[in-house]
Amino acid sequence: MIAAGLVMVLTIAGAIIGVGARRIVHAIFGLGISLAGVALAFGLLRSPFVAAMEVLIYIGGITVAMVFAVMLSSGGRNEPGEGLLRRTLAAGAALLFLVSVGLVISGTEFGPMPEAVDEAWSVQQIGRDLLNRFNVVFELLSVVLLLAIVGAITIAGRGDESLDPAAADEGWA
Amino acid sequence: MPRTFLDIFGNPLLALGAGIGGVMTVLSLNTLFCIWFERKVSAWIQRRMGPMEVGFHGTLQTVADMIKLLGKQLITPRGVDKPLYHLAPLMVFAPVVAAASLLPFSKTVVLTNINIGLVLIFMFGGFAVIGIFMAGWGSNNKYALLGAMRSIAQNISYEIPLILSALPIVLLISAKGPMYEIEGEMIAINGMNLAHITAVQADTGVWFVLLQPVAMLIFFIAILAETNRAPFDIPEAESELVAGFHTEYSGMRFGLFFFAEYSNMLIGSMLATVLFFGGWDGPILPGPVWFFLKAYLLIFAMMWIRWTFPRLRFDQLMTFCWGALIPLSIVNLLVTAFLIKVL
Repeated sequence: MIAAGLVMVLTIAGAIIGVGARRIVHAIFGLGISLAGVALAFGLLRSPFVAAMEVLIYIGGITVAMVFAVMLSSGGRNEPGEGLLRRTLAAGAALLFLVSVGLVISGTEFGPMPEAVDEAWSVQQIGRDLLNRFNVVFELLSVVLLLAIVGAITIAGRGDESLDPAAADEGWA
Repeated sequence: MPRTFLDIFGNPLLALGAGIGGVMTVLSLNTLFCIWFERKVSAWIQRRMGPMEVGFHGTLQTVADMIKLLGKQLITPRGVDKPLYHLAPLMVFAPVVAAASLLPFSKTVVLTNINIGLVLIFMFGGFAVIGIFMAGWGSNNKYALLGAMRSIAQNISYEIPLILSALPIVLLISAKGPMYEIEGEMIAINGMNLAHITAVQADTGVWFVLLQPVAMLIFFIAILAETNRAPFDIPEAESELVAGFHTEYSGMRFGLFFFAEYSNMLIGSMLATVLFFGGWDGPILPGPVWFFLKAYLLIFAMMWIRWTFPRLRFDQLMTFCWGALIPLSIVNLLVTAFLIKVL
C-alpha cells in the first residue's frame, strides 16, 4: 500500500516536472522519472517483464531519442514562447486527452491483483498475444509513433533560425 | 535450482541488506584490483614496471589513490545545471549495483533468481546512458556535452548487436524446453533466466561459445563499446575532449564514474561468462572461483585490446556497428533459428 502510494507520487511528480519545466531538457528528465514510476507500478502489479520493457523502450529508447532530437534541433537551451492562442490550443488538446483517457478508465473493469508472478503466463504468451489477439492494436501503436515523429519534425522545423547553421552553433555553447 | 538470498535469510529487508553489502564489497574490491591490474598490464605491454612503490609490486597503490581522491575538494563549476549535475554520478552508479545482483555466480547460491534476468541486465544498462547524458549536459561544458552525445550515440547503437547476439542463446535454451531435467529435477526452463542458461551448459557439457562463436565475438565487441573501453573510448577520448562527459567532476564524484566504469567491465565480462563460457561450470575448483576466473580472463582480454589497438574515429565506429555487426548478428540469429527448426 505504502509502496503503491510512493510509486504514484513519483509518477505524478515526474509528470509535473515534465509539463512545468522551463528548460526542455528538464522536461525530458521529468518524463523519464514519470516513466520510471510507471515501470515500478508494473513491477508492483507483478509483471516484471512489462516493467523491464517499459524501462528498456521508454526510458532507454524514447527519452534518449528525444534528447537527440532536442540537441539536433535547437540545442535545448531556448525557452518556449508564450501566446494566448498557443496556450488555448494546448489546454484544449490536454482536456481532450484527459476526457478520452478518463472515459477509457471508467469503462474498464479492473480485476484483483495477481497473488504471484504466474510462471506459465510468461514471455512466450505475451509474444503470442501481441502477434495474434492484439495485432491490430500493436500496429495502431506504430501509427501513433509515426504521428509523434511527424509532430516532432514540425515543431523542430518551425522558424528559420533553427535551420540556420550559425544559430544552431550557438546552442552548443 | 540455486537458493536465493531471500530463501536463505527469510526476511526481505535482511536479504536486501546482505545483497547490497555483498555486491558493494565485490565491486569495490574489483575496482581496486582492476585499476592496479590495468596499470600492470599496460606496463607489461609497454615493457615498463608499472606501480612498484606502495606495497608489494604496487598492490596498495590504488588504495593510496582512493584515499587521496576521498580527501580532494569537490569543485562545482559556475553555471552547472544543479539537479542534473549532482544526480548524474548516482544515476550512472546505481544501475550497476542492481545489474550486478542479477548474475548467478554459483551453482547453489545466487542473489536473485528472476526469469527475465537477461532483459533486466540490458534494462539497467539503458539507465546508464541517461546518467551519462545528465553529466554531460549538466556540466555546462562543451567537451562534456560532446562526450555525452558521442556516448549516447555509441551506446544505443551497440545495444542492438549486444541484444541480437544474446538472442541465439535464448533460442537455444528455449528449444530445450518447455521442461528440462537438471540433476533429477524437472524445471520449466526459461531462455532469459541466467541461472538456467548456466545450468544447461553445465548439464550438456557444451559451452555456448562452441555453438555460437560468431555471437560471442559480436557480444564481446559490443560489451567493449558499451563500457566505453578502447578502441571505443570515444566518449572520453582524452586527447580530443579533455575527459569527455566527466570533465567537470572532481574528487569522489569523478571517483564514482570510475567506479561505475570498472564495475561495468566486470558485469559485462560476467554476463559473457554466463552466456558463452558456462558460468560457474568447471572441474575441481568450486563454482564461484571458476566464475570469477573466467570473468577476469575476459577483463584481461579487454585491457589487452585497449593497449594494443588505436582509437577508432567516430564515423568508423558507427559504420562498424551498423554496417558490420548488426547485419552479421541478424544473419547469425536467422541461421541459428533455422538450424534449431531443422535439427
